[in-house]
Amino acid sequence: MTAVTEDQALDAAKSGALVPAVVPAPRPAPRDPAAVLARHAVTEAGSPDGPVLLLSHGFGTGQDAWRRLVPHFPDHRVVLFDHLGSGRSDLSAFDHERHGRLGGYAEDVLDICAALDLRDVTLVGHSVSAMVAVLAAAADPGRFAGLVLLAPSPRYVDDPETGYTGGFSLEDIHELLESLDSNYYAWSAAMAPVVMGNPDAPELAAELERGFVGTHPDAARTFARTLFLTDTRAVLPRVDVPALVLQCRHDALAPLEVGDAVAASLPQGDLVRLEATGHCPHVSAPDETAAAIRAHLARRAAARPTGAA
Amino acid sequence: MTSPGGDAERLLWQRSPCAHLVLDATAATILDANDTFTGWSGHRREDVVGTPLSALLPVGDRILWTTSALPKLEVTGRVEEVVVQLVGADRQRLAALLTAHRVEDEKGEAYVAVALFSATERRRYEEDLLAARRRAEASEARRARAEAGLQHLVHHDALTDLANRPGLLAALHTALAGHGARQLRGGVPAAGRATTPAVVFIDLDGFKAVNDSTGHAGGDELLVEVAARLKAAVRAGALVARLAGDEFVVLDEVTGPEEAAGLAQRLLAALAVPIVIRGVEVVVSASAGIAVAGDEDPAALVAAPAAAADALLQHADAAMYRAKASGRSGWEVHDPAARDDTADRLRLLEQLRHAVNDGQLRLHYQPRFDLADGRMAGVEALVRWAHPVRGLLAPGEFINVAEESGLIRELGAWVLEEAVAQAARWQDQGVDLQVSVNLSARQLADPGLRDWVTTALARRGVPASRLVLEITETALMSDPVTAMTTLTAFKALGATVAVDDFGTGYASLAYLRRFPVDELKIDRSFVAGMTEDAGDRAIVASCIHLAGAMGLVSVAEGVETEAQRDALIALGCDLAQGYHYGRPVPADELVLPRARGLLGNVAQLAAS
Repeated sequence: MTAVTEDQALDAAKSGALVPAVVPAPRPAPRDPAAVLARHAVTEAGSPDGPVLLLSHGFGTGQDAWRRLVPHFPDHRVVLFDHLGSGRSDLSAFDHERHGRLGGYAEDVLDICAALDLRDVTLVGHSVSAMVAVLAAAADPGRFAGLVLLAPSPRYVDDPETGYTGGFSLEDIHELLESLDSNYYAWSAAMAPVVMGNPDAPELAAELERGFVGTHPDAARTFARTLFLTDTRAVLPRVDVPALVLQCRHDALAPLEVGDAVAASLPQGDLVRLEATGHCPHVSAPDETAAAIRAHLARRAAARPTGAA
Repeated sequence: MTSPGGDAERLLWQRSPCAHLVLDATAATILDANDTFTGWSGHRREDVVGTPLSALLPVGDRILWTTSALPKLEVTGRVEEVVVQLVGADRQRLAALLTAHRVEDEKGEAYVAVALFSATERRRYEEDLLAARRRAEASEARRARAEAGLQHLVHHDALTDLANRPGLLAALHTALAGHGARQLRGGVPAAGRATTPAVVFIDLDGFKAVNDSTGHAGGDELLVEVAARLKAAVRAGALVARLAGDEFVVLDEVTGPEEAAGLAQRLLAALAVPIVIRGVEVVVSASAGIAVAGDEDPAALVAAPAAAADALLQHADAAMYRAKASGRSGWEVHDPAARDDTADRLRLLEQLRHAVNDGQLRLHYQPRFDLADGRMAGVEALVRWAHPVRGLLAPGEFINVAEESGLIRELGAWVLEEAVAQAARWQDQGVDLQVSVNLSARQLADPGLRDWVTTALARRGVPASRLVLEITETALMSDPVTAMTTLTAFKALGATVAVDDFGTGYASLAYLRRFPVDELKIDRSFVAGMTEDAGDRAIVASCIHLAGAMGLVSVAEGVETEAQRDALIALGCDLAQGYHYGRPVPADELVLPRARGLLGNVAQLAAS
């Protein structure tokens, strides 16, 4: 069922047009907040009364990817979740149509915020989730105190027309989908222990004993196609909340100039280049990443007109 | 950092049957490669050492390695059997399974050991397997689409593509159950509006005229246009349904009656704009009735939303009739507070008393047909109250009040008198029609009833055989002894006795056999469901067989469709009445069977 729409999207992309990201419309409060939390396997850490840090993982991983960063924020209320189709989320709730739009993931983030009635949220988005965060903040700016964008890219495919370098061609995206197919059974096998585990008592499993659960292969194609064929550049100027852009060296997915462009397009962009290399600084260099986020939060607090300490 | 272990170990490592790489602690850069790797890939050691591993992967694998495998490796210390292709020295792609573990050397320094297994065969099998799986998914998706299409057909009206009655009921049940569940959880959401399901019942005023002047095709065009306008006038989440003919219902969530009234006004305004049908400009006005779900028990809503749905639609329907009666192109809101108000009932009773004396009661006649030859066999007299304010009221609006107060005797007397008078008028015109009259339990218990009926018949010169006295199964069973006496007396007189609403009152067969009954009237609720519901069909079938076995005439009530009629014929039912044959109409609008050629027109009239 994914194959049909996917080919259409690729065909459309070949004709030159990527899908422009659409900011979600205002959403009614979820009718069943508990169901929202359950299907996204929402967990919390840190201080329940601290300022809210909502961590939104990227493609290929689940909330497990944040494990090393979380201990650095014991004074925050750290809220973690799995995007539908990833981690321990309810795969049956993954909607190939809705989650074939980047805005669909932003809607999920807004639903989680509403379900927990989170206010003044600092939303941390990694990789593709950085653009999910951008869409969520554009849709409901009042909800967010600010954004932290880890290794963001608003468009992965080069755009010769505007001289934009995303780092990839459409053929590359084809290759990615083929790689996903090749890994289908390996990824399925990696999900198997989750399926057979005890869903009634996930909290019983010690954090580190739990497996590292990534994206489910049945959702991965749609997720990958959506994020790699969406162009979010036009939304960036509409995000009027403080936004920290964290950029790594030698990031295979987001070249340096992309991070520069993101920070420049954001009205309140704050660019910080990390010493860390690669695409996942929160995993490979959690100390440096946490320090950069803390420094930004301190700058943000200082810059606030009225003392909202 | 060079390689693991001492010389012997290093030799084993170099000659391992498996290609090995050593990466730095972050698994980014290649620090060493064994002979098996260089032999397999064609790369020289000095060409790969110091370069990133990802440089050896084609772009797709590189992205997956970066986004998925690497974070897992860093967090958990290992990844197993990652499916990759390695770009060899000759640019050929080598299929491999990659396993990597983070380990520490004797100095405590971390590095990542990588093993690569050639996996050409396995990769090919998995690709075939996956292709088959995708084909299966595609076919499953086609099946699901077909099923969704079928579901759509069942729940939608073919002409307008609006929801039909089952579609509306399904949506209404969901809305009411959801409303109940929300209330049980504590009602008002933190953000957003507290809303309640509401229905707006809309009936077109000028539809029949359009049908008459432009034909059925013109009527259909009008309905399609009306459907489009209603859809355009409602919010995205609202449902527009077409119940039957020119009846439409809008279901939406509202904050209260005021918002619902606003919705009704919008809908009526949308319909008020003239429509051009086949070159003729038509102005269709409509009347609307509003009912908002109110103080129903939330638990009952969740457990059995169907009853509440029926009540809500009835209230809206009733409000619509009030609107229609008070002037065209208006709307009325059902007022739940007024409904059970004692004062209101007393006022209604007082009005009804006047109605009986002041000639506000009317009799409408619904034809009943012989299923065997298709001829009109008789009519059922049904009382209506031409209320000066509320319009023409059906018995459901006032019979209960009459029953409770005893006014039913005077009302019943008027009905009998008028029905007999009408039978006499028809008789004078040379039309032989049996006229059925409903008797209430109270009338049945009236010792003077028999004499009274005898006198009325004699005065008008109508033979008792023209009269059918209908008594509900429930009334029959409420006082079987009295019923037996009265019915036996009527029977002796020569009148026909029918059991009404048969199947709803749990009459025992033993009683039924002893009663002097001539007809069994099968309740409309079973007839309505008989073409969809096997259970209803079985009940109808057994009622007909029961009637046959006891030598009684079987009559089906509420026949609305050709399919129901055909099913009844197949089951051997004797008589039928219902909208399929004709609605209850005043005597002068009834197409009489005298001129046989006109018989078909009765059905046509009913369909319009």
